[in-house]
Amino acid sequence: MPHEIERQYKEILRQYVMRQSEQNLYTGQNFSQQLIQKNISPEEVISIHKSALEEMFPELQMNVWHSFDFLIEMMIRYGLAHAEHQSLLKQQEEMKVEMDLAANVQKTLLKTTVPCIDGLEIGLISVPVRKMNGDYIYFLSDNQTNAGIAVADVIGKGLPAALCMSMIKYGLDSLKDATANPQKVLDMINRIVEKSVDDDMFISMFYGLYNREESLFTYASAGHEPALFFKYKTSEFSNLHAKGLLLGVVPDVTYEQHEVKMETGDFIVMMTDGVTECRTNEGFIAQEIITSLIYSLRDEPAQTIVDKVFKELEQMQNFELRDDFTLVIFKKTV
Amino acid sequence: MNIQVILKEEENYVKGFISGEIDAFTSPMLREKLSEVEPKNDLKVELDMSDVSYMDSTGLGVIVAFYKNINAYNGHVKLTRLSPRLKRLFDITGLGEIMDIDTDNKGGN
Amino acid sequence: MNYRSSVEILTEWDIVAARQLGRNEAKEVGFGTVDQARITTAISELARNIYLYAGKGKIEIERILEGGSFGIIIIASDEGPGIPDVRKVMEDGFSTSGGLGAGMPGVKRLMDDFKIETVIGEGTVIKATKWIR
Repeated sequence: MPHEIERQYKEILRQYVMRQSEQNLYTGQNFSQQLIQKNISPEEVISIHKSALEEMFPELQMNVWHSFDFLIEMMIRYGLAHAEHQSLLKQQEEMKVEMDLAANVQKTLLKTTVPCIDGLEIGLISVPVRKMNGDYIYFLSDNQTNAGIAVADVIGKGLPAALCMSMIKYGLDSLKDATANPQKVLDMINRIVEKSVDDDMFISMFYGLYNREESLFTYASAGHEPALFFKYKTSEFSNLHAKGLLLGVVPDVTYEQHEVKMETGDFIVMMTDGVTECRTNEGFIAQEIITSLIYSLRDEPAQTIVDKVFKELEQMQNFELRDDFTLVIFKKTV
Repeated sequence: MNIQVILKEEENYVKGFISGEIDAFTSPMLREKLSEVEPKNDLKVELDMSDVSYMDSTGLGVIVAFYKNINAYNGHVKLTRLSPRLKRLFDITGLGEIMDIDTDNKGGN
Repeated sequence: MNYRSSVEILTEWDIVAARQLGRNEAKEVGFGTVDQARITTAISELARNIYLYAGKGKIEIERILEGGSFGIIIIASDEGPGIPDVRKVMEDGFSTSGGLGAGMPGVKRLMDDFKIETVIGEGTVIKATKWIR
Protein backbone atom coordinates (compact mmCIF):
# COMPACT_ATOMS: atom_id res chain seq x y z
CA MET A 1 0.00 0.00 0.00
CA PRO A 2 1.81 3.09 -1.22
CA HIS A 3 2.19 5.61 1.57
CA GLU A 4 1.41 8.38 -0.84
CA ILE A 5 -2.14 7.10 -1.23
CA GLU A 6 -2.60 6.91 2.53
CA ARG A 7 -1.22 10.38 2.98
CA GLN A 8 -3.50 11.84 0.30
CA TYR A 9 -6.58 10.11 1.68
CA LYS A 10 -5.87 11.33 5.17
CA GLU A 11 -5.45 14.86 3.95
CA ILE A 12 -8.73 14.87 1.98
CA LEU A 13 -10.54 13.29 4.93
CA ARG A 14 -9.08 15.83 7.34
CA GLN A 15 -10.23 18.67 5.10
CA TYR A 16 -13.74 17.32 4.93
CA VAL A 17 -14.02 16.72 8.65
CA MET A 18 -13.00 20.33 9.19
CA ARG A 19 -15.14 22.03 6.55
CA GLN A 20 -17.75 19.55 5.31
CA SER A 21 -17.92 21.34 2.02
CA GLU A 22 -19.23 20.04 -1.26
CA GLN A 23 -15.81 20.84 -2.72
CA ASN A 24 -14.21 18.34 -0.35
CA LEU A 25 -16.67 15.63 -1.34
CA TYR A 26 -16.04 16.29 -5.01
CA THR A 27 -12.29 16.03 -4.45
CA GLY A 28 -12.90 12.83 -2.47
CA GLN A 29 -14.91 11.21 -5.24
CA ASN A 30 -12.34 12.07 -7.86
CA PHE A 31 -9.75 10.52 -5.59
CA SER A 32 -11.81 7.35 -5.15
CA GLN A 33 -11.81 6.91 -8.92
CA GLN A 34 -8.02 6.86 -8.74
CA LEU A 35 -8.22 4.24 -6.00
CA ILE A 36 -10.47 2.04 -8.14
CA GLN A 37 -8.15 2.40 -11.10
CA LYS A 38 -5.22 1.39 -8.92
CA ASN A 39 -7.21 -1.66 -7.77
CA ILE A 40 -7.24 -0.60 -4.14
CA SER A 41 -9.79 -2.91 -2.55
CA PRO A 42 -12.67 -1.73 -0.34
CA GLU A 43 -11.18 -3.30 2.75
CA GLU A 44 -7.92 -1.43 2.17
CA VAL A 45 -9.76 1.86 1.94
CA ILE A 46 -11.44 1.22 5.26
CA SER A 47 -8.11 0.27 6.78
CA ILE A 48 -6.67 3.58 5.59
CA HIS A 49 -9.69 5.36 6.98
CA LYS A 50 -9.28 3.63 10.32
CA SER A 51 -5.63 4.58 10.64
CA ALA A 52 -6.47 8.13 9.61
CA LEU A 53 -9.01 8.29 12.41
CA GLU A 54 -6.52 6.80 14.84
CA GLU A 55 -4.22 9.70 14.03
CA MET A 56 -6.87 12.40 14.13
CA PHE A 57 -8.89 11.18 17.09
CA PRO A 58 -6.69 8.95 19.24
CA GLU A 59 -8.96 9.47 22.17
CA LEU A 60 -11.80 7.45 20.64
CA GLN A 61 -12.94 4.33 22.49
CA MET A 62 -11.64 0.86 21.68
CA ASN A 63 -15.14 -0.12 20.57
CA VAL A 64 -14.90 2.23 17.63
CA TRP A 65 -11.68 0.56 16.41
CA HIS A 66 -13.29 -2.85 16.92
CA SER A 67 -16.20 -1.81 14.79
CA PHE A 68 -13.80 -0.85 12.03
CA ASP A 69 -12.13 -4.24 12.17
CA PHE A 70 -15.58 -5.73 11.78
CA LEU A 71 -16.29 -3.52 8.79
CA ILE A 72 -13.01 -4.51 7.15
CA GLU A 73 -14.01 -8.15 7.45
CA MET A 74 -17.41 -7.36 5.91
CA MET A 75 -15.93 -5.52 2.96
CA ILE A 76 -13.64 -8.31 1.83
CA ARG A 77 -16.49 -10.08 0.08
CA TYR A 78 -17.57 -6.88 -1.63
CA GLY A 79 -14.03 -6.54 -2.89
CA LEU A 80 -14.09 -10.09 -4.25
CA ALA A 81 -17.40 -9.52 -6.00
CA HIS A 82 -16.07 -6.36 -7.58
CA ALA A 83 -12.91 -8.09 -8.75
CA GLU A 84 -14.95 -10.86 -10.30
CA HIS A 85 -17.10 -8.29 -12.06
CA GLN A 86 -14.03 -6.59 -13.50
CA SER A 87 -12.68 -9.89 -14.69
CA LEU A 88 -15.94 -10.77 -16.39
CA LEU A 89 -16.02 -7.40 -18.15
CA LYS A 90 -12.58 -8.07 -19.52
CA GLN A 91 -13.65 -11.52 -20.73
CA GLN A 92 -16.67 -9.96 -22.38
CA GLU A 93 -14.44 -7.53 -24.25
CA GLU A 94 -12.28 -10.36 -25.49
CA MET A 95 -15.34 -12.26 -26.67
CA LYS A 96 -16.55 -9.20 -28.55
CA VAL A 97 -13.28 -9.10 -30.44
CA GLU A 98 -13.64 -12.74 -31.36
CA MET A 99 -17.21 -12.25 -32.49
CA ASP A 100 -16.18 -9.31 -34.67
CA LEU A 101 -13.61 -11.54 -36.26
CA ALA A 102 -16.14 -14.30 -36.82
CA ALA A 103 -18.64 -11.87 -38.26
CA ASN A 104 -16.03 -10.65 -40.73
CA VAL A 105 -15.18 -14.16 -41.75
CA GLN A 106 -18.85 -14.82 -42.25
CA LYS A 107 -19.27 -11.74 -44.42
CA THR A 108 -16.39 -12.77 -46.63
CA LEU A 109 -17.40 -16.39 -46.98
CA LEU A 110 -21.02 -15.67 -47.72
CA LYS A 111 -20.56 -12.79 -50.16
CA THR A 112 -22.89 -12.84 -53.08
CA THR A 113 -23.15 -10.56 -56.10
CA VAL A 114 -26.36 -8.74 -56.91
CA PRO A 115 -27.46 -9.69 -60.44
CA CYS A 116 -27.43 -7.13 -63.22
CA ILE A 117 -30.41 -7.66 -65.50
CA ASP A 118 -31.94 -5.08 -67.81
CA GLY A 119 -35.28 -3.91 -66.56
CA LEU A 120 -34.93 -5.51 -63.14
CA GLU A 121 -34.15 -3.40 -60.10
CA ILE A 122 -32.99 -5.22 -57.00
CA GLY A 123 -33.00 -3.66 -53.56
CA LEU A 124 -31.71 -5.47 -50.52
CA ILE A 125 -31.06 -4.94 -46.86
CA SER A 126 -30.02 -7.46 -44.23
CA VAL A 127 -29.32 -6.34 -40.68
CA PRO A 128 -28.34 -8.86 -38.01
CA VAL A 129 -29.69 -8.36 -34.50
CA ARG A 130 -26.30 -9.34 -33.05
CA LYS A 131 -22.92 -9.85 -34.65
CA MET A 132 -23.64 -13.00 -36.63
CA ASN A 133 -26.44 -12.88 -39.15
CA GLY A 134 -28.91 -15.76 -39.09
CA ASP A 135 -30.48 -14.61 -42.34
CA TYR A 136 -28.88 -15.43 -45.64
CA ILE A 137 -29.24 -14.08 -49.17
CA TYR A 138 -27.77 -15.79 -52.23
CA PHE A 139 -27.97 -14.75 -55.83
CA LEU A 140 -27.48 -16.93 -58.86
CA SER A 141 -27.59 -15.19 -62.23
CA ASP A 142 -26.31 -15.24 -65.80
CA ASN A 143 -26.54 -11.44 -65.74
CA GLN A 144 -28.55 -11.47 -68.91
CA THR A 145 -31.83 -13.25 -68.64
CA ASN A 146 -32.14 -15.10 -65.37
CA ALA A 147 -31.83 -13.93 -61.78
CA GLY A 148 -32.30 -16.46 -59.02
CA ILE A 149 -32.51 -15.55 -55.36
CA ALA A 150 -32.49 -17.60 -52.19
CA VAL A 151 -33.59 -15.99 -48.95
CA ALA A 152 -32.97 -18.20 -45.96
CA ASP A 153 -33.58 -17.86 -42.26
CA VAL A 154 -31.65 -20.21 -40.07
CA ILE A 155 -33.75 -20.99 -37.07
CA GLY A 156 -31.53 -20.65 -34.09
CA LYS A 157 -29.08 -17.79 -33.62
CA GLY A 158 -25.44 -16.98 -33.42
CA LEU A 159 -22.51 -19.17 -34.23
CA PRO A 160 -24.28 -22.52 -34.97
CA ALA A 161 -26.69 -20.74 -37.30
CA ALA A 162 -23.85 -19.13 -39.19
CA LEU A 163 -21.99 -22.39 -39.58
CA CYS A 164 -25.18 -23.95 -40.95
CA MET A 165 -25.20 -21.29 -43.62
CA SER A 166 -21.89 -22.35 -45.08
CA MET A 167 -23.52 -25.65 -45.87
CA ILE A 168 -26.29 -23.92 -47.78
CA LYS A 169 -23.84 -21.73 -49.62
CA TYR A 170 -21.78 -24.63 -50.86
CA GLY A 171 -24.94 -26.44 -51.82
CA LEU A 172 -26.14 -23.48 -53.86
CA ASP A 173 -22.66 -22.95 -55.31
CA SER A 174 -22.82 -26.44 -56.77
CA LEU A 175 -25.83 -25.36 -58.84
CA LYS A 176 -24.03 -23.09 -61.33
CA ASP A 177 -27.12 -23.14 -63.54
CA ALA A 178 -28.98 -19.86 -63.25
CA THR A 179 -32.14 -21.38 -64.68
CA ALA A 180 -32.36 -23.94 -61.88
CA ASN A 181 -35.92 -24.70 -60.94
CA PRO A 182 -36.90 -23.35 -57.46
CA GLN A 183 -38.56 -26.63 -56.58
CA LYS A 184 -35.44 -28.61 -57.41
CA VAL A 185 -33.19 -26.19 -55.59
CA LEU A 186 -35.13 -26.55 -52.35
CA ASP A 187 -35.19 -30.31 -52.68
CA MET A 188 -31.43 -30.43 -53.07
CA ILE A 189 -30.73 -28.14 -50.17
CA ASN A 190 -33.22 -29.98 -47.99
CA ARG A 191 -31.41 -33.26 -48.47
CA ILE A 192 -28.05 -31.70 -47.63
CA VAL A 193 -29.37 -29.99 -44.53
CA GLU A 194 -31.44 -32.89 -43.22
CA LYS A 195 -28.39 -35.10 -43.12
CA SER A 196 -26.19 -32.68 -41.30
CA VAL A 197 -28.05 -30.60 -38.78
CA ASP A 198 -29.12 -31.01 -35.17
CA ASP A 199 -32.67 -32.03 -34.48
CA ASP A 200 -33.63 -28.59 -33.24
CA MET A 201 -32.07 -26.58 -36.06
CA PHE A 202 -34.04 -25.78 -39.17
CA ILE A 203 -33.90 -23.48 -42.07
CA SER A 204 -36.74 -21.75 -43.81
CA MET A 205 -35.96 -20.79 -47.37
CA PHE A 206 -37.64 -19.03 -50.24
CA TYR A 207 -36.25 -19.50 -53.75
CA GLY A 208 -37.32 -17.30 -56.62
CA LEU A 209 -36.28 -17.13 -60.25
CA TYR A 210 -36.93 -14.15 -62.52
CA ASN A 211 -36.79 -14.65 -66.24
CA ARG A 212 -36.50 -11.43 -68.27
CA GLU A 213 -37.65 -12.87 -71.59
CA GLU A 214 -40.94 -14.11 -70.20
CA SER A 215 -41.22 -11.52 -67.42
CA LEU A 216 -42.01 -14.45 -65.20
CA PHE A 217 -41.20 -14.91 -61.55
CA THR A 218 -41.20 -18.56 -60.49
CA TYR A 219 -40.99 -19.43 -56.82
CA ALA A 220 -41.11 -22.14 -54.17
CA SER A 221 -40.92 -22.02 -50.41
CA ALA A 222 -39.70 -24.25 -47.61
CA GLY A 223 -41.65 -23.07 -44.60
CA HIS A 224 -40.66 -19.47 -45.28
CA GLU A 225 -42.55 -16.21 -44.83
CA PRO A 226 -44.71 -15.75 -47.93
CA ALA A 227 -43.38 -13.15 -50.31
CA LEU A 228 -45.57 -10.22 -51.32
CA PHE A 229 -46.48 -9.40 -54.88
CA PHE A 230 -47.43 -5.82 -55.68
CA LYS A 231 -49.40 -5.25 -58.85
CA TYR A 232 -48.91 -1.64 -59.91
CA LYS A 233 -51.97 -1.46 -62.17
CA THR A 234 -54.39 -2.49 -59.43
CA SER A 235 -52.38 -1.12 -56.49
CA GLU A 236 -52.90 -4.44 -54.75
CA PHE A 237 -50.71 -6.64 -52.63
CA SER A 238 -51.08 -10.42 -52.64
CA ASN A 239 -49.29 -13.15 -50.73
CA LEU A 240 -47.23 -15.55 -52.79
CA HIS A 241 -47.99 -18.79 -51.01
CA ALA A 242 -46.20 -22.01 -51.86
CA LYS A 243 -46.56 -25.02 -49.65
CA GLY A 244 -43.43 -26.74 -48.48
CA LEU A 245 -41.97 -27.98 -45.23
CA LEU A 246 -39.02 -26.32 -43.52
CA LEU A 247 -35.63 -27.61 -44.62
CA GLY A 248 -34.01 -30.20 -42.43
CA VAL A 249 -37.02 -31.89 -40.86
CA VAL A 250 -37.54 -34.90 -43.14
CA PRO A 251 -35.50 -35.90 -46.22
CA ASP A 252 -38.35 -36.34 -48.69
CA VAL A 253 -40.45 -33.27 -49.29
CA THR A 254 -42.56 -32.10 -52.19
CA TYR A 255 -42.28 -28.39 -52.76
CA GLU A 256 -45.06 -26.57 -54.57
CA GLN A 257 -43.93 -24.27 -57.35
CA HIS A 258 -45.89 -21.32 -58.71
CA GLU A 259 -45.30 -18.44 -61.04
CA VAL A 260 -46.52 -14.92 -61.48
CA LYS A 261 -46.27 -12.62 -64.51
CA MET A 262 -44.69 -9.26 -63.86
CA GLU A 263 -45.51 -5.97 -65.59
CA THR A 264 -43.82 -2.60 -65.44
CA GLY A 265 -43.93 -1.16 -61.93
CA ASP A 266 -44.73 -4.53 -60.33
CA PHE A 267 -42.49 -5.80 -57.61
CA ILE A 268 -41.87 -8.82 -55.38
CA VAL A 269 -41.08 -8.30 -51.70
CA MET A 270 -39.16 -11.11 -50.03
CA MET A 271 -38.36 -11.10 -46.34
CA THR A 272 -37.58 -13.08 -43.25
CA ASP A 273 -39.67 -13.14 -40.09
CA GLY A 274 -37.50 -10.40 -38.62
CA VAL A 275 -39.75 -8.13 -40.67
CA THR A 276 -43.14 -9.66 -39.98
CA GLU A 277 -42.43 -10.15 -36.29
CA CYS A 278 -41.60 -6.53 -35.63
CA ARG A 279 -43.08 -5.48 -32.33
CA THR A 280 -43.53 -2.36 -30.30
CA ASN A 281 -44.60 -2.24 -26.68
CA GLU A 282 -48.18 -2.34 -27.83
CA GLY A 283 -47.84 -5.49 -29.84
CA PHE A 284 -47.00 -6.72 -33.29
CA ILE A 285 -46.72 -4.25 -36.14
CA ALA A 286 -49.50 -5.35 -38.44
CA GLN A 287 -48.81 -6.37 -42.00
CA GLU A 288 -51.08 -3.54 -43.15
CA ILE A 289 -48.66 -1.00 -41.73
CA ILE A 290 -45.80 -2.57 -43.62
CA THR A 291 -47.72 -2.83 -46.87
CA SER A 292 -49.05 0.72 -46.71
CA LEU A 293 -45.53 1.91 -46.05
CA ILE A 294 -44.28 0.06 -49.11
CA TYR A 295 -47.25 1.32 -51.11
CA SER A 296 -46.34 4.93 -50.35
CA LEU A 297 -42.87 4.24 -51.77
CA ARG A 298 -44.02 2.30 -54.85
CA ASP A 299 -42.55 4.70 -57.37
CA GLU A 300 -39.14 4.79 -55.76
CA PRO A 301 -36.15 2.69 -56.80
CA ALA A 302 -36.06 -0.76 -55.18
CA GLN A 303 -33.10 0.03 -52.96
CA THR A 304 -34.74 3.22 -51.70
CA ILE A 305 -37.87 1.28 -50.77
CA VAL A 306 -36.02 -1.31 -48.68
CA ASP A 307 -33.83 1.31 -47.00
CA LYS A 308 -36.78 3.48 -46.04
CA VAL A 309 -38.89 0.56 -44.82
CA PHE A 310 -36.06 -0.58 -42.61
CA LYS A 311 -35.47 2.89 -41.18
CA GLU A 312 -39.17 3.30 -40.45
CA LEU A 313 -39.58 -0.08 -38.78
CA GLU A 314 -36.36 0.39 -36.84
CA GLN A 315 -37.66 3.66 -35.48
CA MET A 316 -41.03 2.16 -34.61
CA GLN A 317 -39.23 -0.46 -32.56
CA ASN A 318 -37.12 2.15 -30.80
CA PHE A 319 -33.97 1.06 -32.59
CA GLU A 320 -34.14 -2.32 -30.91
CA LEU A 321 -34.31 -5.23 -33.33
CA ARG A 322 -35.62 -8.53 -32.03
CA ASP A 323 -34.50 -10.67 -34.91
CA ASP A 324 -32.29 -10.48 -37.99
CA PHE A 325 -34.05 -8.24 -40.50
CA THR A 326 -33.89 -9.08 -44.18
CA LEU A 327 -35.83 -7.45 -46.99
CA VAL A 328 -35.32 -7.91 -50.75
CA ILE A 329 -37.27 -6.35 -53.59
CA PHE A 330 -37.29 -7.41 -57.24
CA LYS A 331 -38.85 -4.56 -59.23
CA LYS A 332 -39.68 -4.66 -62.92
CA THR A 333 -38.90 -1.26 -64.35
CA VAL A 334 -39.24 -1.79 -68.07
CA MET B 1 -39.34 -13.21 -21.11
CA ASN B 2 -40.99 -15.54 -18.68
CA ILE B 3 -42.07 -19.09 -19.17
CA GLN B 4 -43.77 -21.71 -17.08
CA VAL B 5 -44.02 -25.38 -17.92
CA ILE B 6 -46.17 -27.81 -15.95
CA LEU B 7 -46.18 -31.52 -16.76
CA LYS B 8 -48.70 -34.03 -15.46
CA GLU B 9 -47.80 -37.67 -16.04
CA GLU B 10 -50.22 -40.59 -15.85
CA GLU B 11 -49.50 -44.09 -17.15
CA ASN B 12 -49.06 -43.64 -20.87
CA TYR B 13 -50.33 -40.09 -20.99
CA VAL B 14 -48.59 -36.78 -20.39
CA LYS B 15 -50.38 -33.46 -20.29
CA GLY B 16 -48.28 -30.35 -20.47
CA PHE B 17 -49.24 -26.72 -19.92
CA ILE B 18 -46.92 -24.09 -21.33
CA SER B 19 -47.44 -20.45 -20.52
CA GLY B 20 -45.55 -17.30 -21.26
CA GLU B 21 -43.14 -16.60 -24.07
CA ILE B 22 -41.02 -19.16 -25.87
CA ASP B 23 -38.00 -17.40 -27.33
CA ALA B 24 -34.25 -17.65 -27.43
CA PHE B 25 -34.04 -16.93 -23.69
CA THR B 26 -36.77 -19.21 -22.41
CA SER B 27 -36.56 -22.12 -24.86
CA PRO B 28 -33.62 -23.77 -23.05
CA MET B 29 -35.86 -24.07 -20.03
CA LEU B 30 -38.61 -25.57 -22.15
CA ARG B 31 -36.18 -28.01 -23.68
CA GLU B 32 -34.99 -29.09 -20.26
CA LYS B 33 -38.51 -29.59 -18.96
CA LEU B 34 -39.57 -31.58 -22.03
CA SER B 35 -36.51 -33.79 -21.72
CA GLU B 36 -38.00 -35.03 -18.46
CA VAL B 37 -40.64 -36.88 -20.48
CA GLU B 38 -39.42 -40.39 -21.14
CA PRO B 39 -40.26 -41.53 -24.65
CA LYS B 40 -41.90 -44.95 -24.81
CA ASN B 41 -44.13 -47.03 -27.01
CA ASP B 42 -47.65 -45.63 -27.42
CA LEU B 43 -46.96 -42.63 -25.20
CA LYS B 44 -49.48 -39.85 -25.78
CA VAL B 45 -48.36 -36.30 -25.07
CA GLU B 46 -50.65 -33.32 -25.21
CA LEU B 47 -49.23 -29.81 -24.94
CA ASP B 48 -51.74 -27.11 -24.13
CA MET B 49 -50.47 -23.89 -25.69
CA SER B 50 -53.39 -21.63 -24.80
CA ASP B 51 -51.30 -19.45 -22.50
CA VAL B 52 -48.35 -19.09 -24.83
CA SER B 53 -48.31 -15.41 -25.65
CA TYR B 54 -45.43 -15.58 -28.10
CA MET B 55 -43.28 -18.16 -29.78
CA ASP B 56 -40.46 -17.60 -32.20
CA SER B 57 -38.42 -19.96 -34.30
CA THR B 58 -36.20 -21.08 -31.42
CA GLY B 59 -39.30 -22.31 -29.60
CA LEU B 60 -40.34 -24.05 -32.78
CA GLY B 61 -37.02 -25.85 -32.82
CA VAL B 62 -37.47 -27.15 -29.29
CA ILE B 63 -41.00 -28.38 -29.97
CA VAL B 64 -40.09 -30.11 -33.22
CA ALA B 65 -37.04 -31.80 -31.69
CA PHE B 66 -39.31 -33.04 -28.88
CA TYR B 67 -41.88 -34.21 -31.42
CA LYS B 68 -39.24 -36.10 -33.41
CA ASN B 69 -37.90 -37.73 -30.27
CA ILE B 70 -41.27 -38.96 -28.99
CA ASN B 71 -42.19 -40.15 -32.47
CA ALA B 72 -38.98 -42.12 -32.79
CA TYR B 73 -40.20 -44.34 -29.95
CA ASN B 74 -43.70 -44.71 -31.40
CA GLY B 75 -45.25 -42.05 -29.23
CA HIS B 76 -47.56 -39.27 -30.31
CA VAL B 77 -47.47 -35.53 -29.67
CA LYS B 78 -50.46 -33.25 -30.01
CA LEU B 79 -50.51 -29.47 -29.64
CA THR B 80 -53.76 -27.91 -28.55
CA ARG B 81 -55.40 -24.50 -28.22
CA LEU B 82 -52.94 -22.54 -30.31
CA SER B 83 -53.58 -18.85 -30.84
CA PRO B 84 -54.12 -17.75 -34.47
CA ARG B 85 -50.64 -16.28 -34.63
CA LEU B 86 -49.08 -19.48 -33.33
CA LYS B 87 -51.15 -21.52 -35.75
CA ARG B 88 -49.95 -19.31 -38.60
CA LEU B 89 -46.36 -20.05 -37.65
CA PHE B 90 -47.01 -23.78 -37.87
CA ASP B 91 -48.93 -23.38 -41.14
CA ILE B 92 -46.29 -21.33 -42.92
CA THR B 93 -43.49 -23.64 -41.90
CA GLY B 94 -45.46 -26.62 -43.11
CA LEU B 95 -45.18 -28.19 -39.67
CA GLY B 96 -48.92 -27.89 -39.28
CA GLU B 97 -49.28 -30.67 -41.82
CA ILE B 98 -46.92 -33.18 -40.29
CA MET B 99 -47.74 -32.50 -36.66
CA ASP B 100 -51.02 -33.02 -34.87
CA ILE B 101 -52.32 -29.54 -34.21
CA ASP B 102 -55.71 -28.98 -32.68
CA THR B 103 -57.43 -26.01 -34.28
CA ASP B 104 -59.88 -25.69 -31.43
CA ASN B 105 -58.46 -22.44 -30.11
CA LYS B 106 -60.03 -19.98 -27.74
CA GLY B 107 -59.93 -17.24 -30.34
CA GLY B 108 -58.37 -13.79 -30.32
CA ASN B 109 -54.68 -12.93 -30.19
CA MET C 1 11.01 -27.83 10.28
CA ASN C 2 8.42 -25.12 9.68
CA TYR C 3 5.92 -24.40 12.40
CA ARG C 4 2.63 -26.07 11.43
CA SER C 5 -0.71 -26.23 13.19
CA SER C 6 -3.99 -27.75 12.07
CA VAL C 7 -7.73 -28.04 12.58
CA GLU C 8 -9.93 -30.98 11.65
CA ILE C 9 -13.00 -29.94 9.70
CA LEU C 10 -16.10 -31.97 10.48
CA THR C 11 -18.78 -29.57 11.69
CA GLU C 12 -19.61 -26.01 10.79
CA TRP C 13 -18.09 -24.88 14.13
CA ASP C 14 -14.75 -26.21 12.94
CA ILE C 15 -14.77 -23.58 10.23
CA VAL C 16 -14.76 -20.94 12.95
CA ALA C 17 -11.92 -22.71 14.73
CA ALA C 18 -9.91 -22.80 11.51
CA ARG C 19 -10.53 -19.07 11.01
CA GLN C 20 -9.34 -18.33 14.53
CA LEU C 21 -6.21 -20.37 14.08
CA GLY C 22 -5.53 -18.71 10.75
CA ARG C 23 -5.93 -15.21 12.07
CA ASN C 24 -3.68 -15.92 15.06
CA GLU C 25 -0.98 -17.44 12.89
CA ALA C 26 -1.18 -14.59 10.38
CA LYS C 27 -0.79 -12.11 13.23
CA GLU C 28 2.20 -14.02 14.64
CA VAL C 29 3.90 -14.08 11.25
CA GLY C 30 3.48 -10.31 11.08
CA PHE C 31 0.68 -9.67 8.60
CA GLY C 32 -1.29 -6.40 8.94
CA THR C 33 -4.97 -6.28 9.87
CA VAL C 34 -6.28 -6.31 6.33
CA ASP C 35 -4.09 -9.25 5.27
CA GLN C 36 -5.07 -11.10 8.42
CA ALA C 37 -8.69 -10.68 7.37
CA ARG C 38 -7.92 -11.83 3.83
CA ILE C 39 -6.10 -14.94 4.96
CA THR C 40 -8.92 -15.72 7.35
CA THR C 41 -11.49 -15.31 4.59
CA ALA C 42 -9.51 -17.65 2.34
CA ILE C 43 -9.36 -20.26 5.11
CA SER C 44 -13.06 -19.80 5.73
CA GLU C 45 -13.83 -20.46 2.06
CA LEU C 46 -11.61 -23.54 1.87
CA ALA C 47 -12.89 -24.98 5.14
CA ARG C 48 -16.46 -24.39 4.07
CA ASN C 49 -15.88 -26.26 0.84
CA ILE C 50 -14.53 -29.22 2.79
CA TYR C 51 -17.53 -29.11 5.08
CA LEU C 52 -20.06 -28.86 2.25
CA TYR C 53 -18.59 -31.18 -0.36
CA ALA C 54 -16.15 -33.58 1.30
CA GLY C 55 -17.81 -33.93 4.67
CA LYS C 56 -14.49 -34.26 6.44
CA GLY C 57 -10.99 -32.84 6.04
CA LYS C 58 -8.24 -30.76 7.51
CA ILE C 59 -6.90 -27.24 7.41
CA GLU C 60 -3.19 -26.92 8.11
CA ILE C 61 -1.38 -23.63 8.50
CA GLU C 62 2.34 -23.37 8.15
CA ARG C 63 4.62 -20.41 8.79
CA ILE C 64 7.33 -20.09 6.17
CA LEU C 65 10.49 -18.14 5.47
CA GLU C 66 11.82 -18.10 1.94
CA GLY C 67 14.39 -15.85 0.33
CA GLY C 68 14.21 -13.47 3.25
CA SER C 69 10.43 -13.14 3.17
CA PHE C 70 8.02 -14.35 5.80
CA GLY C 71 4.78 -15.93 4.75
CA ILE C 72 2.04 -18.41 5.45
CA ILE C 73 0.75 -21.52 3.66
CA ILE C 74 -2.79 -22.80 4.02
CA ILE C 75 -3.14 -26.48 3.17
CA ALA C 76 -6.75 -27.63 2.81
CA SER C 77 -7.03 -31.38 2.35
CA ASP C 78 -9.83 -33.90 2.28
CA GLU C 79 -10.65 -37.44 1.21
CA GLY C 80 -13.78 -36.42 -0.56
CA PRO C 81 -15.04 -37.16 -4.08
CA GLY C 82 -12.48 -34.93 -5.80
CA ILE C 83 -13.20 -32.14 -8.25
CA PRO C 84 -14.29 -33.42 -11.69
CA ASP C 85 -13.78 -30.19 -13.65
CA VAL C 86 -11.11 -28.02 -12.11
CA ARG C 87 -11.17 -25.52 -14.96
CA LYS C 88 -14.85 -24.90 -14.44
CA VAL C 89 -14.36 -24.45 -10.71
CA MET C 90 -11.69 -21.81 -11.40
CA GLU C 91 -13.90 -19.79 -13.75
CA ASP C 92 -15.37 -16.46 -12.82
CA GLY C 93 -19.07 -16.10 -13.13
CA PHE C 94 -22.44 -17.15 -11.91
CA SER C 95 -21.95 -20.88 -12.21
CA THR C 96 -19.60 -21.22 -9.29
CA SER C 97 -19.94 -18.19 -7.08
CA GLY C 98 -23.41 -16.98 -7.98
CA GLY C 99 -21.87 -13.69 -9.00
CA LEU C 100 -20.73 -13.05 -5.44
CA GLY C 101 -17.03 -13.32 -6.04
CA ALA C 102 -16.59 -16.31 -3.74
CA GLY C 103 -15.39 -19.80 -4.57
CA MET C 104 -11.94 -20.81 -5.75
CA PRO C 105 -11.40 -17.68 -7.86
CA GLY C 106 -12.02 -15.66 -4.70
CA VAL C 107 -9.44 -17.61 -2.71
CA LYS C 108 -6.98 -17.17 -5.55
CA ARG C 109 -7.50 -13.41 -5.44
CA LEU C 110 -7.02 -13.21 -1.69
CA MET C 111 -3.73 -15.12 -1.66
CA ASP C 112 -0.51 -14.83 -3.65
CA ASP C 113 -0.10 -18.43 -4.77
CA PHE C 114 -2.68 -21.11 -5.38
CA LYS C 115 -2.45 -24.79 -6.32
CA ILE C 116 -5.08 -27.54 -6.59
CA GLU C 117 -4.37 -31.26 -6.68
CA THR C 118 -7.33 -33.54 -6.96
CA VAL C 119 -7.99 -37.22 -7.67
CA ILE C 120 -11.52 -38.39 -8.39
CA GLY C 121 -12.68 -40.76 -5.70
CA GLU C 122 -9.68 -40.08 -3.51
CA GLY C 123 -9.69 -36.44 -2.47
CA THR C 124 -8.34 -32.96 -2.89
CA VAL C 125 -5.40 -30.92 -1.61
CA ILE C 126 -5.36 -27.15 -2.03
CA LYS C 127 -2.31 -25.07 -1.12
CA ALA C 128 -2.52 -21.31 -0.90
CA THR C 129 0.40 -19.08 0.05
CA LYS C 130 0.66 -15.45 1.08
CA TRP C 131 3.79 -13.38 1.63
CA ILE C 132 4.41 -10.30 3.69
CA ARG C 133 5.16 -7.54 1.24
